[in-house]
Amino acid sequence: MIKIRDLEKIYRTEEVETVALNKISIDVKEGEFVAIMGPSGCGKSTLLNILGLLDDPDNGSFLFNNIEVAHFNERKRADLRKHNIGFVFQSFNLIDELTVFENVELPLIYTGVKAGDRKKRVEEVLDKMQIMHRRNHYPQQLSGGQQQRVAVARAVVNNPKLILADEPTGNLDSSNGNEVMTLLTDLNEQGTTIIMVTHSEHDARYSHRIIRMLDGQTVLENIMV
Amino acid sequence: MLKHYIKIALRNLAQQKVLTVINISGLSIGIACFSLFLLYAVNEFSYDRFHTNANRIYRIVEWWEGEGREAGGSGSVCTPVAPAMKKDFPDVEYAVRMRGTGCLARVNNNVFHTSITFADKDIFHVFSFPLLYGNSQTVLQDPRHIVLTKEKALQLFGTTNVVGKALEIKTDTAFEPFTISGVAENIPANSSVQFNILCNFEHFAQTTMVQESSNNWHMTIGMEAFVQLKPGSRLAGERKRLALFRLKYLPDERPKAKKEKEAVQASFRLQPLRDIHMNPQVEGGNNPRNIWILITIAAAVLIIACINFTTLAIGRSAGRAKEIGLRKVMGSQRKQLMGQFLAESLLLSVFSAVAGLVLAYTLLPLFNQLADRELHFSLTRFPELCWLLTGLTVLAGLLAGSYPALVLSAFKPVEVLKSKIRVGGSNLFTRSLVTLQFVLSIGLIISTIIILQQLSFMRSKNIGFNKENVVMINTGSIDSKKIYPLYKQAIESNTGIVSVTAAEMGLGSNEGQMGRGYRNYKGEVTGVIEYPGDYNFLNAMGMQIIAGRNFNAALASDSTNAIIVNEALVRDVLGTTITDALGKQLVEGKGNGRKPQTIIGVAHDFNFEDLTRAVRPQLFYRPANLNASRFFVRLTAGDPATKLALLNNTWKQLVPDAPFEYSFVDEKFDAFYRSEERWSAIAGWAGGISIFLACLGLFGLAALTAINRTKEIGIRKVMGATVSQVVGLLSKDFIKLIAVALVIASPLAWYCMHNWLQAYAWRINITWWVFALTGFFAILVAVTTISFQAVRAALANPVVALKNE
Repeated sequence: MIKIRDLEKIYRTEEVETVALNKISIDVKEGEFVAIMGPSGCGKSTLLNILGLLDDPDNGSFLFNNIEVAHFNERKRADLRKHNIGFVFQSFNLIDELTVFENVELPLIYTGVKAGDRKKRVEEVLDKMQIMHRRNHYPQQLSGGQQQRVAVARAVVNNPKLILADEPTGNLDSSNGNEVMTLLTDLNEQGTTIIMVTHSEHDARYSHRIIRMLDGQTVLENIMV
Repeated sequence: MLKHYIKIALRNLAQQKVLTVINISGLSIGIACFSLFLLYAVNEFSYDRFHTNANRIYRIVEWWEGEGREAGGSGSVCTPVAPAMKKDFPDVEYAVRMRGTGCLARVNNNVFHTSITFADKDIFHVFSFPLLYGNSQTVLQDPRHIVLTKEKALQLFGTTNVVGKALEIKTDTAFEPFTISGVAENIPANSSVQFNILCNFEHFAQTTMVQESSNNWHMTIGMEAFVQLKPGSRLAGERKRLALFRLKYLPDERPKAKKEKEAVQASFRLQPLRDIHMNPQVEGGNNPRNIWILITIAAAVLIIACINFTTLAIGRSAGRAKEIGLRKVMGSQRKQLMGQFLAESLLLSVFSAVAGLVLAYTLLPLFNQLADRELHFSLTRFPELCWLLTGLTVLAGLLAGSYPALVLSAFKPVEVLKSKIRVGGSNLFTRSLVTLQFVLSIGLIISTIIILQQLSFMRSKNIGFNKENVVMINTGSIDSKKIYPLYKQAIESNTGIVSVTAAEMGLGSNEGQMGRGYRNYKGEVTGVIEYPGDYNFLNAMGMQIIAGRNFNAALASDSTNAIIVNEALVRDVLGTTITDALGKQLVEGKGNGRKPQTIIGVAHDFNFEDLTRAVRPQLFYRPANLNASRFFVRLTAGDPATKLALLNNTWKQLVPDAPFEYSFVDEKFDAFYRSEERWSAIAGWAGGISIFLACLGLFGLAALTAINRTKEIGIRKVMGATVSQVVGLLSKDFIKLIAVALVIASPLAWYCMHNWLQAYAWRINITWWVFALTGFFAILVAVTTISFQAVRAALANPVVALKNE
């Protein structure tokens, strides 16, 4: 599903040049659950952003379902992203002004799903995430765990092929964290590919494979048994 | 503490450079605009206040009131009234008559046309016009003495000390020598009494016209009269004494029986000098309502600028919430925080006031052109400006800073530090303020369009005769009885000349009118405007005779008692039909017994006055001895240069010592609408400035909204929102506000402009497209403004936004 080769990302300021990704090459197969680990600043979030088509690489190749997307323009990236990729963030990134229902509905609006279908699909996914009873609440009225469940619901409502999770349990206590990891595992078992950036060895154990990064390069891969 | 406030304020202003520039430029434009309008208003209200005895000086006015007509007066009174008042009332200390006229003057064999004012010798006792040279007690004692203003002396002699020099003036039939006995300082622009050359009234009294009027209480020759009352006199308020005085000299006005009471009652009144400029009830007076409208417009512009400051400060509040929370944790009290915010806004308003005054000073010549005034920023002449401007600066600072000070200082520190407060962006209050800004801007733009429409309507309306391509030559004091036939004969047969005619009156703005009272069909006296012209006047001017016939030079009776009347006269004075009017006689109401006039024709109504008035009853006659003051020459269409050269050359051959002065009749009619032109320009500029300021604020607010919604925009982009969807998201809320503003402003503007249009007898209908066009324009401008920020926000990398979270 994902094949990246010699990918480079360099951040430049007037005085400093920081190599975030240094000719990194990774493959992810469809249906895999991959965890990316490494110390702060090793480039894992940059990698996740490029995989999520939120950022451009400077050099290298990025094949998504055998299509070269490394130098797609903004419109093409947005199009590919909204149909294929769901995101879960550490800080949930829910829109405070929208209700739970409206937050989950958002990706469907941007993919042009009709109102009737949207309602049905949002209700289905809220039900599945056991958050239906909170559908009219605003994010600030929910606990951290509930907010992350809404974020996961939003990530999956479009039935994406790939979910990218950036430290999804980073802001949660262990009980809520486990709940979210179980949700992601369930989704993976249903066929969704998941790539997760995490600092937590505990969370990483939910994955099939751990890629360890240092200074913008992969240094080790652990296959989980 | 104050030093600390100022230091923090300066740092905050420096940190937010774009917003500071928006705030200062907005407020300074607002203050500049308000200062100029304030200067205009202060100047208007300062008229005639500089005279030492201003509160004891009065103008004699003829006042009319009665059923069915609006009370009003005229400053033009009969010649004997002022000396009679001085003789009959011991309260009257001085009485001065003044009459301006055009004349020819000759200095060193150079002849030029100038205006001259005749006044009784006590003028310098009454009015405080300082003399540069000469003694004010004696300067006009001799009938051959004249006084020049400094400007006129410089113009004629190139120097100011011209006392003792000679000047020849031709007021009647020949040049006569005068000696300059004094030079006055230039007359201030804010004086109702103006002159360049002042001459003793005794000399003027010897002319034929004044001799005729000197003892005639029924005749006015456009003369004004002023009295200075003794201290403590209450004559101005004593209507009974003034009424008895009038009846003494006009005994025929005494009602013999109740049923004979005239429909309109005339009386003499004393109008305070300081009231002259701003009393619209007396002819020539300005309406103070216009000044208040101007001040309201200026206040609207200032409010828009202040709103920018407030909305931007609130918009920035999210960014400052943490600072406020920390200050409170460190022990700051609410009033200290309020002090800090007010210090910031006051500092900003002081900067803006300085920039605004510099801007106002720079724009003053342009504003003078716009307002048709000669205003100067003079704190010595207008000391009130000093405290008004200081007050304005403080008020602007307080207005702009008070809401942010109150709201931001009320933040609870724990909530702020836990990021539970979200004030930034647009809350109900800022939305209301932005809406108010656009209500004001849209209202001003709608008003401007309607004023321009009315102006265009008045200029292009068919006023009942062909005013195009007609040259009106001012004959001055030439012997026109002799010159007119010669001039007419010399030019008439040339190609390019359609027709030539003459009249004793001009046409258009500032050309004056003459009228007389005639008995109407109810037996009451009704005013009728009279127009003495040549036989061919109506034909030459393209006026249409709809019944009867034109004057005929071959019929002797046509120059003795034949008249042609307009439709309004048939309707209002005769109360009959057009055909029945022919052959009827018009009888003078009172006066010196003019013979009854026989109607030989009826002319189609034409608007000889501006379109604020309906057409009034008018008659044309051909005087037996036509003494034309204006020649009218209709030219063929096309470039008038060669035809004007012909007119000028012929004039020079016939009257070499008189200047050829002409104007075009269509321009004289356009001149009726100078005031509307000024108003449309002022409202247009104010509308333009206000929409610019509103957009400046919108620009800042859109930037702040984009900043405050960075996270949301990032999330939406990650979820698949396109650039246009993000732009739409950010613009939608503002467009809604402008739509609401349009809904509020439209009926208000309609109401104001509907009332404004009522002053015009001939007016446009307000059409719906004016509102639609303004709304479209406001939305277009706003969307363009917002788009700049919205596109920038939409194109930003969402990763950055989400990373910051």
